This record gives sequence, C-alpha cells and structure tokens, in this order.
Amino acid sequence: MTTDHRIKTPVLQVENLAISYETRKGDVPAVRGVSFEIQRAEAYGIVGESGCGKSTVAFGIVNFLGRNGRIVDGHILFQGQDLAGRSQGELRRIRGDQIAMVYQDPMQALNPSMRLGDQMAEVLTVHRSMEKGAAWEKCIEMLKRVYMPDPANVMRRYPHQVSGGQQQRVVIAMALLNGPALLIMDEPTTALDVTVEAAVLDLIAGLQRDFETAIMYISHNLGVIARVSTKVGVMYAGEIVERASVEDVYLRPFHPYTQGLMRCVPRLGMDKYSSYLYPIPGRVPPPSNLPPGCIFEPRCHYAREECRLRKPELRLVGFKHWARCHFAKEIAEQGWTPPEGVTAELAARTERAKVAETILKVDHAKTFYEAPSKKLIGGKKQYVKAVDDVSIEVRRGETLGVVGESGCGKSTLVKTIIGMEKPTDGEFEFMGIDIAAPVSKRNLALIKDLQMVFQNPDSTLNPSFKVGAQIARPLQRFKTVPSDQVRAEVIHLLEIMRLGERYYDRLPRQLSGGEKQRVGIARAIAGRPELVLCDEPVSSLDVSVQAAVLNLLMEIQTELGTTMVFIAHDLSVVRFFCDHIAVMYLGQIAEIGPAEAIYAPPYHPYTEALLSAVPIPDPGTKQKHIRLSGNVPSALNPPSGCRFHTRCPRRAEMLPDGGKICETTVPPWQEVGKGHRICCHIPLERLRQMEAVVTVRDQVEGKEEINVG
Amino acid sequence: MLVKNYMTRHPLLADPAMSTVEAQRFMGENDIRHLPVVGDGKRLLGLVTRQSLLIDPGRLGSLDVWEIARYLSALTLKDVMIKAQEITTVEQDTTIEEAARIMVENRIGCLPVLDDGIVVGIITEVDLLAQLMEMMATRVPGVRVTVRLPDERGELAKLVGTIAAQEWGMLACGGAPAPKDPTKWDAVVKIRDVPQEEIIAALGTIEGQEIVDVREV
Repeated sequence: MTTDHRIKTPVLQVENLAISYETRKGDVPAVRGVSFEIQRAEAYGIVGESGCGKSTVAFGIVNFLGRNGRIVDGHILFQGQDLAGRSQGELRRIRGDQIAMVYQDPMQALNPSMRLGDQMAEVLTVHRSMEKGAAWEKCIEMLKRVYMPDPANVMRRYPHQVSGGQQQRVVIAMALLNGPALLIMDEPTTALDVTVEAAVLDLIAGLQRDFETAIMYISHNLGVIARVSTKVGVMYAGEIVERASVEDVYLRPFHPYTQGLMRCVPRLGMDKYSSYLYPIPGRVPPPSNLPPGCIFEPRCHYAREECRLRKPELRLVGFKHWARCHFAKEIAEQGWTPPEGVTAELAARTERAKVAETILKVDHAKTFYEAPSKKLIGGKKQYVKAVDDVSIEVRRGETLGVVGESGCGKSTLVKTIIGMEKPTDGEFEFMGIDIAAPVSKRNLALIKDLQMVFQNPDSTLNPSFKVGAQIARPLQRFKTVPSDQVRAEVIHLLEIMRLGERYYDRLPRQLSGGEKQRVGIARAIAGRPELVLCDEPVSSLDVSVQAAVLNLLMEIQTELGTTMVFIAHDLSVVRFFCDHIAVMYLGQIAEIGPAEAIYAPPYHPYTEALLSAVPIPDPGTKQKHIRLSGNVPSALNPPSGCRFHTRCPRRAEMLPDGGKICETTVPPWQEVGKGHRICCHIPLERLRQMEAVVTVRDQVEGKEEINVG
Repeated sequence: MLVKNYMTRHPLLADPAMSTVEAQRFMGENDIRHLPVVGDGKRLLGLVTRQSLLIDPGRLGSLDVWEIARYLSALTLKDVMIKAQEITTVEQDTTIEEAARIMVENRIGCLPVLDDGIVVGIITEVDLLAQLMEMMATRVPGVRVTVRLPDERGELAKLVGTIAAQEWGMLACGGAPAPKDPTKWDAVVKIRDVPQEEIIAALGTIEGQEIVDVREV
C-alpha cells in the first residue's frame, strides 16, 4: 500500500520549544530549544536520564504544566495547528480528543473507587454522548483488542482487582477509545515485569500499525526505545542533544552523551571479567544553574576550551542525523579509548575468580505466610507459599544472582535469610552457624556479618539523621572500630563510596538517588560483613548512576572479599554482575548454575522466555520471540506438578502426549554439569537443541555472528 | 479491499469557529483539498472544500471595500461549510468500489468515513486512483499485456492457465468490457521477469483470444 499521496503534514511538529517553571528563585528554564517532528503513524522515542525534561515536553504538548509552568517560546503544531499561546477553550477545541496520554503508573491513572467498566464507558458517554449500553459494548471490544483475558468480567472489577500489567492494558485501551491521532506514552512499562513489559510493547507496536496512531514514547531505557520506535531524540538537561533514526543513534552515536549512555548499560552477555561499565562522571546540572557553554561540557571527556565558551547548535552530522556538539564528527571518527586505570582493574578482578569454601547454605527452605480463611467459622488454614523448597549455596567471595518475575519469592528468600521473616521449614547455615532464628534472637556477631542493601534508599535512610550519623551507627553498635575512630572510619567509608567528607553532615534529602543508594551501601558494609544481601539495589537508579553503583559494589567485593546475594529483575545487569544465577518461579528454583551457563542453551523454558523478553539496546540484534501468556499464578494455590506448566510454551511441542506429565508430576532436577541444574521434564538433549535466544550481529564485520544468551 | 484500509486515518480537522481566512491558509499550507468540520468528540458537522471558500462575487458587489473586509473577517467555516445532512458519507467496512460508485454518481471528490457519526477518516478520489495504481502494480517493472477475449465462461481461466503452465508470476490482473464491443472482454495482466517475445509467443496462440496491446512498463 502506498502512502505517498497522503497528507504530508506531521502529526506533531515541535519547533524551538522552551518551557519554564516560575519559582521563588525566578524562572527555571526546564526545556530549551527543543525541536522534533512526529510523522503520521510513526513512533518517536525520547530518551534521557531523569530530570532531563522529557516529561515536561510531554506535559507542554497537552498543556498540563501546572500553575507555575508555561511555554515561553516556540511552537507546538498539532495536525497543522499551533497549540502554543492559546486559551484553554481554544485548545480543547483544536485538540479535541485527538491526543491521549499514558503514564508510568497505571494505578494513578485509574480511579480506585470506580469499576473499570464505568471508568472506560465514561470516556465515550461524556466525550461522544454515546448510549451507556453501546459504550459498554465498545469498551469490551477495545479490551479484547488489547488482549485482555475475560474482558466482560474485567469490566466489573475494581482497579486493585487486576494485576499491574492488566491495569496498564486498561489504561491503553482507554486512551485508544477515542481513536487519537497522537498517543503520548510516558514510561508506560517502567513499573512492569520484564515479561509483561515485552507483551505490552508488542501490543503497542500492533496498535500503532492497526490504528495508524503516531506515538511519542518517553523512556529512560535504551532497549525499550530500540524496540518500539523508529526515530529517537536524546535529551539532556532540557535540550535535545542528538536526533536521528534508531539505527543511527545506536550504532553510530555522535554526541558524547549518547556514547556515554551506550557504554554504561551492560549488554546481555557481558560479564564483569571481560568488560567494564563506564559511568558518566558527575550529574545532570540543575536547570537553574546551567554551564555557560555546552551543557554537557562539565561531564564530557572531550571538553575543550571552545566547549566552555560557546554553546553548540544542533547541526546536521549525517543523513537526517543531528547532534549538538562542536566536535561531533571528530569524536565519532577518532573512536574511544577508555580512561587510564580501567583495564588494570579488569585484570585484577579476573584473578580473583577461584573456588572457595561455602559460606551460605540454604537447604529445602520454606517460608509460608498464613492467609485468612475465606469462611467465617472453621475452614482450613491456607498458606501463601512464598518460598517453597529452595536450596542454594553461596561460596566466599562470589555473587549469587536471583532473578524472576515479581511475586516469585526472591525478596522473601533474602528476607528469610537475614531473619526478617520466620522460615516455616528448612535448614539455614551461615559459616557453620544455624541461622533459622529471627533477627531479634540472633547474636550481634551474626547480625554484623549479614547485612542488607535495600531497593529504595528513600525509605531506608532516616530522613532526620545526618548521613555521617547513619553510617556511624553500625560502627558503634558492632564496635568495629574504637569509639574515638568512628568519625575517621565513616569518612573513610564515604571516600570508598566516592562521596567524600563533605557529605558527612548532609541530610538524606540533600542527596540524589544514586548518592543515597551509596550511603545505603556504605552503611551495609560498615561492619565489614561477610555476606551482603542486595535487594534490587540499582533498579530505581538512572543508567549512568547504575553503572557507578555497580562498579562500586564490584570494587568493594574485590577489596573486602565480600560475598553477595544480588536480586535484580534486569537480566543484563545480573549476567554482568553475578557469578552464579538462580532463576526463581513461584517460590521455587527453576534453574541454577554459573552465569554463562544460564544464558546459553540448554535453557529451562522459563529462562528462555525471560531472556527473550529483555529489551536490547541494539537494533541489529536478533531475538527469539517468546511471550508468556497470563500472569504468575497465585502462590496461595500453586499449580500441581511443575508450577510453570500453566504458562510453559515448550512442553506441548517437546514432550510426548502434549506434556501431560507436567500437570501431575513434579519435575526432576537434571544435572547439566559444572553445577548447572535444570528442573524440567523435557530431556536435556531436547533442551540442548534449542537455539540461542539472542544473536548479536557484528555490524563492523558484517558477517560474524556471536551468540550470547 | 475495504475503505478502512485505504482511507486516510486521523485527517486534519477544523473547528466551525475557524475563520475562512485561516482555513484558506490552513488548507494551502498543508496541501489538502477537503477539510471536515467537527464538533465535540469529532462528530461531523460539515465539510469545507476549496470550492466552499470561493465567495460569490454577487454577495460582495453591493458592499464597499471596508465592509468587504469586515464581512470577510467575520466569516467562519460555520457559514460556508456544506452542512452535515447534505454530505454523503461511508462506513469503514464499505468496499472501495462502492465508495467509487458513490463518488462517481454524486460527482464528488471526497467521502468522510464515519463510525457512529464520528469522523475516523477520509477517502478521496486520489486514494482510489492510488489503489488503481497498486492493483496494476505500477511501481514494479514488468510486461503489461492486454488480451481481448470473448465474454464467455472459461476464457479467463484459459489465459491464466497458460500463464500458470509457463510457471510465470503474475503481478497484477484486471479486466473490463472491451470498448465498443459488448461480446468481448479486455483482460490486463502484468508479468514479471519474462521477455516480451516469450509472452507474445505463449499468449498469442490461445484460441479465440487476441493480444491488443503489449508493452514493457
């Protein structure tokens, strides 16, 4: 089908847009000189770290800037008509219901006190004065279109009665009810599991094709952007620094910031022995205090005198490829050499990888939560089997990664180990001591040796205590150092964390997210623990900060020989950081073994599905397309036999009789070798025949194919 | 081949309060000839074509130059548009030939596509011509042959059977009654990657059929 004769007017044309927020300290220019175009039925990605003004641009388009925000310059042409500088009434008429927006948190977009059906139908009855019955029918139809299972039933539920992925589907369906010409999606999958995220991204691509809706897709995740969009704008500190097609930005980035972003995310298949993450030094400058020349100059490796004095313009550096850098071409041509000292560290780390004694041994661990019986009187007690028969071993100096979808029991496992949850059954042995007792009954020496880093540093740091005092607390409690040396030790720890003495007297609210997480880590390692349990320590951080924190954790491990258990949902990070990996599903381990073995065939079918869902920031990569249907079943009443059988995409094709055995019999552990074990009925030979999930095509060589994962 | 696959989705729309002066500029800048006028929820209220913007000089004749300026600046689309009840529209599931018939019979150039009174797209004569182009595989090089065959059952099968026997690929196939001969039918086929002579040799020998035109395109 041709589209040549169609209208050439872009759906959205942003020209030289500048948005400022009025504050007591004067106007803060949050967005400056942003220009881009979104053609019909095109997906445009906007990528950048938090605080770069991505969302402000989106809010500017829908005029949702709040009382103190306003567009100070530029034009926003939507379907050929300018939106800037119009009154609310005029805007409403021009925009009509042609722009829809989907936000990060579906729970905030849905009214918790209304049934989903009523909320959805309201869109049609209010905007289009449609009959209630007809609107209801139309909503069911739209829910079917977003692959919502059992839509008629879902319509009668309240938002809290459906899962996060389903909530986001409802929000997307709602956004599409009016057939918008432009759909703005602000981090729509960030809060979702990797498997759900993959399904939602597929859905978005399908809807874009069918409804010819233009999409503006905002994300901090380079992989997600590579999967959904055709063109990308990279934003930094309120400006677009690079703008081109997805391939050009990912394979031939010109701007040093884009290059830096690429280097600080671990690619699937990279590990800590052969590669290094290069964090971008410093942090995004606040919009109220911008450098006079190039905004990226203070963090740029290539910065020269000219960058400090003169502000670069966005200029053409290739075919439809724009970059805001004085020396873009030069930098791209000369290639990149890592800063000195990095390669040496890499070698030092390789030496350390040798077998050591077992430090933590968990055998047949079970942690059940009691669930209230549904009957008023009597009735059998029910249990949520959060961790059900899990056995792991961790050796000294090693890192064990635990991965799995949310609700699979990863966090419960580490909480049980550290004593915050009471185990129902099983043996827990740490350095030869039984640690089945809760933390309140443990002796101080044990508590000192077992520490934890939490996901959200905001909720684990006391907001009214100074950083120094919070790090000093474990030092005093465990008497790690004599009391007159506590302050010196805290400063030493702050230095290890690359924070320095000036942070000693700060309060948590004066720190950025990454800095807070570093304080959290400093506090955990203050008592020189043997084992640190990290529960998603980098999930809430920006990619450049994430790289810095990961590097820091590795340095600590090298220097202090700390053992770690590392929970994360990002499989690239886990592959990069961990020596051994356990894949958990519904309270049980599905596959466990050395990191490199987990990411190559033979796979457990669940691992295979997880890997194929990882968004990869490289458009040249081929990835198998496997999508799990449905959600993780309830741990209150787990499926019989193999717990994964309800969603397993492989059993029907790989086992005789359509995999009937999976429904009745618990699968056996199959030894692959080198400690790699898979819990599955499918014979190992069949599992070995699986193709690798991810194939990276080397763009430079053109021919060579490298299999990773 | 239904309207929904060939229409322009998300067309440019206008508000009835838009001034005709602005509409003139808007249509010119975006190079469009038809502008649906919609109210709340994209409900169709009217349609503006370049013709609706031509103002009858008779209406202005009696006004002096200042009054003309005032008259023009006050004129909105609401005053000049074709009203909704006079507009012929189609549904998304209408076939494109039906859309073509409506356009031909009413001598109009565009049909708004509605779903429950809501504008979901617009289909114009250009869309249909583009589709004709695609049906004849205009963009792909090949040999285009017109064969005149008797208007009888089985004749087209004979032609297609001959092409199939040669294991040639057919890019496009269309047909229409032959001009000025009610007993004959003209079939146009387009064949890829085969020399013209071979095609003439193979198709020229079919009994009762005659090649009236052959060319490389």
